[in-house]
Amino acid sequence: MDLFLQNIVNGLQWGSFYALIALGYSMVYSILMLFNFAHGDVFMVGSYIGFGVATALLGFVAVTGIPLPGWLILILTILFAMFFTSFVGMFIERVGYRPLRDAPRASAAITGLMIGIILETGNLAILGARRLSFPQLIESATYQFGGVFVTNKKILIVGVSLGLMYLLHRFIQKTKWGMAMRAMSFDFQAVPLMGVSINKIAPLTFAIGSALASAAGILYGLAYPVLDPYMGILLGWKAFVAAILGGRGSILGAALAGFLLGFIEIFVAWIFPSTLRDVIAYSIILLILTFRPHGFFGQAHSTQLRL
Amino acid sequence: MALLRVDNMTHYFGGLRAVHNYNLILEPGHIVGLIGPNGAGKTTIFNLISGIHSPTEGNIELDGHNLIGHRPHEIAALGLGRTFQNLLLWRHMTVLEHVKMACYSQLEYGIWGAFFGSRFCRQEEKRLTAKAMHLLETFDVARFSSQLAVSLPYGAQRRVEMARAMATNPKVLFLDEPTAGMTPDELNRMISIIRKIHEEFNVAIFLIEHRLKFVMELCERIQTLVFGEIISEGTPEETKNNPQVIEAYLGREDIH
Amino acid sequence: MDIPDHTLQPDKKGFKARLKSFVASVPLIGWFLGFLGAVLVEYYLGDLISYYLGLPKIPVLFGLLTVIKKPLLIPGTIGYLILVYGLPILIIVKCLLKPANRLAGFLDKRPVTIAALVHLGIFYGALHIWADISDYRLLVLKLTMIGIMLTLSINVINGYMGEFSCSHPGFMALGAYTASTITLLFFTNDKQFGDALLPEVLGAYFFPLALIAGGIAAALGALVIAIPSFRTRGDYLAIISLAFLFIVKSLIENLEIIGGPRGMSSQPHYSTLPTVFIVMVLCIWIINNFVRSTMGKALNAVRDNELAAEVMTVNTRKTKIITFMFGAFWAGVAGGLFAHVLRYVNPGSFGIQRLAEILAMVYFGGLNSVTGSIVGAVSINILSEALRPLEIYKWIIIPLLLILVMLFRPTGLIAFTEFKPKELMKPRQELIKE
Repeated sequence: MDLFLQNIVNGLQWGSFYALIALGYSMVYSILMLFNFAHGDVFMVGSYIGFGVATALLGFVAVTGIPLPGWLILILTILFAMFFTSFVGMFIERVGYRPLRDAPRASAAITGLMIGIILETGNLAILGARRLSFPQLIESATYQFGGVFVTNKKILIVGVSLGLMYLLHRFIQKTKWGMAMRAMSFDFQAVPLMGVSINKIAPLTFAIGSALASAAGILYGLAYPVLDPYMGILLGWKAFVAAILGGRGSILGAALAGFLLGFIEIFVAWIFPSTLRDVIAYSIILLILTFRPHGFFGQAHSTQLRL
Repeated sequence: MALLRVDNMTHYFGGLRAVHNYNLILEPGHIVGLIGPNGAGKTTIFNLISGIHSPTEGNIELDGHNLIGHRPHEIAALGLGRTFQNLLLWRHMTVLEHVKMACYSQLEYGIWGAFFGSRFCRQEEKRLTAKAMHLLETFDVARFSSQLAVSLPYGAQRRVEMARAMATNPKVLFLDEPTAGMTPDELNRMISIIRKIHEEFNVAIFLIEHRLKFVMELCERIQTLVFGEIISEGTPEETKNNPQVIEAYLGREDIH
Repeated sequence: MDIPDHTLQPDKKGFKARLKSFVASVPLIGWFLGFLGAVLVEYYLGDLISYYLGLPKIPVLFGLLTVIKKPLLIPGTIGYLILVYGLPILIIVKCLLKPANRLAGFLDKRPVTIAALVHLGIFYGALHIWADISDYRLLVLKLTMIGIMLTLSINVINGYMGEFSCSHPGFMALGAYTASTITLLFFTNDKQFGDALLPEVLGAYFFPLALIAGGIAAALGALVIAIPSFRTRGDYLAIISLAFLFIVKSLIENLEIIGGPRGMSSQPHYSTLPTVFIVMVLCIWIINNFVRSTMGKALNAVRDNELAAEVMTVNTRKTKIITFMFGAFWAGVAGGLFAHVLRYVNPGSFGIQRLAEILAMVYFGGLNSVTGSIVGAVSINILSEALRPLEIYKWIIIPLLLILVMLFRPTGLIAFTEFKPKELMKPRQELIKE
């Protein structure tokens, strides 16, 4: 029983990354009807930007002697990195996707894939092949509840993730822009006809998605401090699967599917030999999709990647 | 024996009753019309009979074959051809390819013949091309045969669609609003085309239309559908004077 | 006042126009003969010419590598290209213009197969001699041919039927591993499976069967995607195909009996140039036959409007199954060839990176087009090799190039174009006036 709960906790943490990244995918997918295959690499870029910000802040502390507590540096890192990474996202939208707005969806998808490759290679070219180590901003502390061990980092990761998701939910439900986004996910063409420019919604969507991915990147760096240019591939494609699993038009679905994927992977690794993790996890997903082809909460019509 | 026979067909979409106790008897060579206000369920009836949805209740028979439970392509191969309200053409295919495509069920060669380009396959293709060109000539679109169908003017597109439907060698032809979007000129042309098909191919025709003049001129019998139920069935004269039909289209005159 | 001649008839006698009409009058067989002549010149005189031009050795890839690695040698390389390729081709083509056209006319009256065999024979001969110069050329040529097969086979699914399938590396893997297992198990003394079960000499003759077995394995795997495709299309099918890719890769990594993450090696050298060439030609021929037939056009009908197709008697389910299995089959065959060219196979070769390469080839070259697939595969392969000296920057330039193509020609360079061998081989009229 203890092990079971322990795995729940681990699943929550692992699923948080997927959920945050999946949200970005899902937003772009639902609102702009696009697959943004560069998103996983935006997660990577966000992580590296976080590294840069954290290092800069630590340097600042060292130079000026002002004692900033670790948790404050962490918060500032997350905020600044989210801010900067949102511009990366907007740039990608402007340069890669906007010119292809009327092109077949498949061409836009390929463009995204290529942008992702450029991001990876660019990173490799600029920073070299050596791996970077994310600075330890917080002292690890472990709390014990019965037989279950929970580190403060895990609590932080899950907490921040849920917090960001809640903020996103408020934004989508309560603000004017959020309403426009929701409207676009139902009817792509009607919203511009009502006077809301796609050229404002699209960058905003990308900005928010990228910011969330960046937060995921920093939280990930907190838990697994080794960064490398290809870290986006590993998590990104799986989060993408989660986003589609959640269903088109459903932000909640994407988040849930992200957590579900996290749970599936942790539990599969617990029960089966860990090398079989991918096979079983994906087979489960395949089965789910075969019987519920529109994802959990997806709208009934499926958008075809039409030529 | 009736060529097409529908008995007590009822269909629900979830909780919504779209069609209720629908009946149809179509004899060979008849032309029957289906009219009614928008949203009455006319296209749904087409979709049900042609197999796109499976009716919740009811029986459908074409030439003695039971149609319930069969896939649309099987039903089409049994002799049910149709056109669509929204002209479902294939964006990247030429006019000739459209008509040849509808002969899919008549292909005698199998995939191995297609893979290796066997002589039989080539002969079949030639035969189909000849048949398709002949059809295109009948509909006066033969000169567009190598053009993309979607690049044609609207009236020509409609004729291509009809040629495509006729390529399936139908015994019964369903026409879904064949004159939608047409000028009075094209309308008259359409009337003569339909008459020509009717005579030359000896095909029973069942058509949905909103232009009452068109329907009155072509059809021997007219069904009126309102909220999924037939409220009138009879000759054009009878239908024209039926108070319920008038009410459905024009509303009722309230005398206080 | 005298008006100069060239203003009255601006283009009729211009050099560009004359060149254009000359080129248009050369039949395909003329170009092949020219190419044959050029490689013969290179074979016998290449070393000599490159020596006198100051080049350390014969440029292996038309000098494209030299341009980047040793820019000082560019003038010499250009000279080499002119002397070895440019001039011989032009001279031969010009001298043989009439006989070549007559030959083309003669062949045109014969069955297409005969004409094709003659053309292919000459072309292969030229390729063979060209590749003889260096092992590197041989490798690039073989990998390019395999690339053509991969691109064609994914075009059937993604282009002709308009899906977005990400499962191709998975199909390739199934074919590669099946074929390798057969050749290693039966015909090789190796450390994976122990001694050969059958006489080693028979191996080369059974290789085609091994390839077919690989193709069938891939085709069976494709059912996993074909069946869900009945109910779902577009986005969700993309995910299913992606899941398939991850599953196959992970499955292979977990099966120690076929080498696990380390893979298998020492496949015998069955993928000779003639073998790869013949299989590629068969692939092109069969796929082209299929997509030009009405049965093949059903793929387009399903793509452009599945409902209309269904109502026009097209069995859309059968079409989808055929498409996925057919595309997967050739990817599997290509995978089998691939394993025997590299003589090594491991799961790492069949992941996201391979997917990106294959997608790049097919979208660059052009969807729904046999010609496009050939062009795309050759271009990306040659580009990939030519940019190799730039190392990782290669993976910035190639994606950028593809993005440019997507921006200006979203469906690829040569999309929706029919490949008509009979037209290609026709004699061209003589348009030159002396």
